[in-house]
Amino acid sequence: MKRKQRTEILIEGSHELAKSLANEIEQKYSVSVLQEPEQGLVMLKVRETSRKSLFYLGEVLVTECKAKVEGKIGIGIVKGDHQDLAYHLAVIDAAFLGDLPETKPWAGILEIEKYYIDQKRKAKNEEILRTKVSFETMDV
Amino acid sequence: MGYVAVKGGTQAIEESIKRLKYERLHKEQVLETGQIEAGMRGLIDQVMSESSLYNEKLAALAIKQAEGNPEEAVFLLRAYRSTLPRKYCSNIIETGEMKVERRISASFKDIPGGQILGATTDYTHRLLDFNLMKETEESVSEWLSNYALENRTIEMLQHASEFVLPKVLDYLRKEGLIPPLENNDAEPDDVTRESLEFPSSRSQRLQILTRGETGAVTSLAYAVIRGYGALHPTVGELRVGNLPIYVGHPNEEGNDEDEYYIGDIKTTEAEMLMPFMAEKEKGKKELEFEIGYGLCFGQNETKAIAMGILDNCLEHPDNSFPSHNEEFVLLHIDSVESTGFISHLKMPHYVTFQSKLDSVRKTKAKAEEQEEVQAYE
Repeated sequence: MKRKQRTEILIEGSHELAKSLANEIEQKYSVSVLQEPEQGLVMLKVRETSRKSLFYLGEVLVTECKAKVEGKIGIGIVKGDHQDLAYHLAVIDAAFLGDLPETKPWAGILEIEKYYIDQKRKAKNEEILRTKVSFETMDV
Repeated sequence: MGYVAVKGGTQAIEESIKRLKYERLHKEQVLETGQIEAGMRGLIDQVMSESSLYNEKLAALAIKQAEGNPEEAVFLLRAYRSTLPRKYCSNIIETGEMKVERRISASFKDIPGGQILGATTDYTHRLLDFNLMKETEESVSEWLSNYALENRTIEMLQHASEFVLPKVLDYLRKEGLIPPLENNDAEPDDVTRESLEFPSSRSQRLQILTRGETGAVTSLAYAVIRGYGALHPTVGELRVGNLPIYVGHPNEEGNDEDEYYIGDIKTTEAEMLMPFMAEKEKGKKELEFEIGYGLCFGQNETKAIAMGILDNCLEHPDNSFPSHNEEFVLLHIDSVESTGFISHLKMPHYVTFQSKLDSVRKTKAKAEEQEEVQAYE
């Protein structure tokens, strides 16, 4: 599973999942933290739809951590102040970069989590769709 | 006349700061930041937008410290922001990817995907609800379970799937009513890194408008519609929803699938349609549309619409109207700059004022002297 999809699942899903996957790596390998979780900013570059040009919308607070496992440096970065999650994400990122055998069964676990995320999103969309207008033309 | 340093107010200042704390605390109620975050969504969104820093928890803390005063809260957040390192710039955010929670058009009734009202005060009676004074945690829980129950019933009936909401502008572009455009990927300017110079770039204008003070942006846009401008806008599409944010690896060259998802942010986007008569070949004139663009943090619809109006004004400079003058608009809508300058008038100006007073006294004395001389002659 590619990084884009797995980071979305790990951030939008239960943070306990990221914790348990990172713990699995910690138990078998030596993890060195190169950068403790710290706050920083990400500047947001947006395309406007009038001229289709780019501009900066503002900055979002993030927590970033860097961890090394088996010679590979992983990065964990998440919106908001989430020190533990940033560390767990960094360990998982390093594990995937090192193609560690433990990561092989993770795809299935992440797919299951994705299913729950999709169900939640679907339920939310259904709630929102209750506010959709059903126009009727009036006879005047 | 320059400024001179004076001293002697240290103790008074210390006591004044204590007095400020007393004003916040003397009713012996501790306002938790979680409560502000949960119940003051509008103020949180306004403060995040004007401070140009997206984080609800910090916004709630700033609001608490500022006792609900938005200008002070924005000042606190801007100051805090300046202490943090900028770690990344996001990959380009395309607003078509917004997870929509509300989407309406005032121009087209039957937009593809429909009009979705979402959460809005637009259709509420503006009557004070005194029941809120008696609201309890039990009554809140009861309301929430009833709401969830209603939605479960609907879920069984509808089985609605993911939203796929095409943009109204794309629809108009396909129809040929708005000319098609290619993406312009030129790197934007950043007003937080380089001072604004005139003439400004489009990216500078949009950045200043989106972080502008909500009231100032709204007032100037209102003036445009009342006649101090040359526009007749309509809301083409207004969207509120969450935009996903991705960043690339700092060292690796990878494809889109290798980027990091870091979370999403709630934004409001307004695409304003401005009709105008375009000159065609052989003196023919045709009605066409231009688009004014507004996008800001949070659910902040009035500001996004007003930004869209001012964006289009500034694309058409016209010194007959202050609202079409980029210096007038861009240099006066920033919360920290405007409130800071007005507020600084409270600071001691003894020397400046004394020198003016001296001038008045001297002028008066001279005039009296001349009168006396004339009387003697």
